[in-house]
Amino acid sequence: MDINNVLLITGKDMRESLKNRWFVLYTVSFSVLAMLILMAASGAEIAGFSGYGRTAASLINLVLLFVPLIALVTGAISISNERENGTLQYLLSQPVTKSEVFIGKFIGVLIPVLFSISLGFGLAGIGVALKGGGGNIWAYLFTAFMSGLLAAALLSVGFVVSVYSGKASKAIGIAVFLWLVFIILGDLGIMGTAAVMDLGIEQVFVLAVLNPAEVFKIASVLVLSPRFEILGPVGVYAVRTFGREGIIFLLISVMAAWTVVPFIFAYLSFGVLRREEL
Amino acid sequence: MIEIKNVTKSFGSLKAVDSVSFGVKSGEALALLGSNGAGKSTLIKCILGLLDYKGEITVNGVDVRKHPKQARAQVGYLPQEPVFYDMKTRDIIAFFARIRKAQKDEPGSLLEKVGLAGHADKYASELSGGMRQRLSFAVALLSGPEVLLLDEPTSNLDARARGEFLSLVREYKDGGKTVLFSSHRLDEVDYLADSVVLMREGKLVYEDGPENLKKSLGLKLRARINTGKERIDDAAAALSRAGITVHGRNGLGIVVEVGAEDRMKPVRELLACDIPVLDYSVEEASMERILEGAGTDGH
Repeated sequence: MDINNVLLITGKDMRESLKNRWFVLYTVSFSVLAMLILMAASGAEIAGFSGYGRTAASLINLVLLFVPLIALVTGAISISNERENGTLQYLLSQPVTKSEVFIGKFIGVLIPVLFSISLGFGLAGIGVALKGGGGNIWAYLFTAFMSGLLAAALLSVGFVVSVYSGKASKAIGIAVFLWLVFIILGDLGIMGTAAVMDLGIEQVFVLAVLNPAEVFKIASVLVLSPRFEILGPVGVYAVRTFGREGIIFLLISVMAAWTVVPFIFAYLSFGVLRREEL
Repeated sequence: MIEIKNVTKSFGSLKAVDSVSFGVKSGEALALLGSNGAGKSTLIKCILGLLDYKGEITVNGVDVRKHPKQARAQVGYLPQEPVFYDMKTRDIIAFFARIRKAQKDEPGSLLEKVGLAGHADKYASELSGGMRQRLSFAVALLSGPEVLLLDEPTSNLDARARGEFLSLVREYKDGGKTVLFSSHRLDEVDYLADSVVLMREGKLVYEDGPENLKKSLGLKLRARINTGKERIDDAAAALSRAGITVHGRNGLGIVVEVGAEDRMKPVRELLACDIPVLDYSVEEASMERILEGAGTDGH
């Protein structure tokens, strides 16, 4: 593999992302909303959180809505769009390998997404600092870290969609559907399944950690709050079974697996299976 | 330089390329002819390693299946409809120059060569079809590849742009490089090609020099004979007796079919029957008739 080709393609895709008006809109919206949340949450301690902790807790829902959507959609159009408009075939007719193209495109899309998240958390963090700081800065940074990991995981899923979609419009449709499944239906699905099938707490826990959005939520709340029972019986079960550090490690590992497994699957599908549409 | 041995490419039950074998010598220009759906573009994509195939393809001794990247490093490819990223012309060629490991001054000099130096700051979407073709040609020439692979390179060009483009390709070929191009135009074949391969429904049906193409396919030419209005019937009868097919009549004469190898036979027959020939012209075989004639009657 020629690392120069990877970096070249990474640079090209980064520039394209940063020029994309929807991506710019997302980045600005996320940062603006983060600042609004900071302002709305300022003042006295709320629910035991203050300063950085309060801001991080407030940002959790913003992250859950925004980050999976942008990661899934950006990943989904990355290859499908180029395949549809013909530039992918032209690029692959040059002396490059499919591995170089795939890895270059993945990194080239991941970096701008992480930049957007960092900008939002960074601006909000600066705002907290200007207001005197306080609270748990490490929990804030951990929430930012888990947001990045959530983005990487769902970007990988988006790339799987992209490799198997002949058209960008179809890929976007599938990405939005997956966003609904992970974010909106995730909680409802778990509750409904647990009620209908009369699941035990262990089974509910497993269902929860199968969803990267739930993993992000549980991990962030566990780090932010000393009172893990605010997560309900699932939180109590998790901490009592694995310990606080153990559960955090488990959740990070699950998120890492959600990043690596779809990535490898998409990589192999793109490179080894040789889609004839190219 | 390019060796294609028993290459077959199927899409499901459809054989787009069916056991095709031929070679392109170093410094040669080979025209790949065939109607739409004959398998030309599919074969070109196989040579680039963009599609899986059965058989063997080598470019300058490099097996395309085993070392596709090394094979493509020796090939400059010009697709039928060039598409580019939404970038400025200079940035596009700079990007591909780095991919192809070109020298630093190549992008600028190639833009100059293809007449796009004045359009370097335009975005690809602002370029005309002919300009995009020239940009694609400049990209194909980066790092001086040994082989040019052109997929119907003039299909989107007007007459003037076509002439200019063909001159550039001819110049490249005269420099000792190898060219494989697909085309629908006989005049391009006559101008550029040292050899011709004709494909029909995925199969190779003809492989030889362009000068023998029409003759080998047994193509009939159309001849118009002006005999004057009074002698049309006599002329038609005389030619029919001589085994010459009378295709039609117009006000002053008749239209007949003649073999490419004996264009003057109708004139000799008429003169032998004391029928005057006031005018005689032969219509050259068109590409459409060549493509229609290929693959029939055992060719």
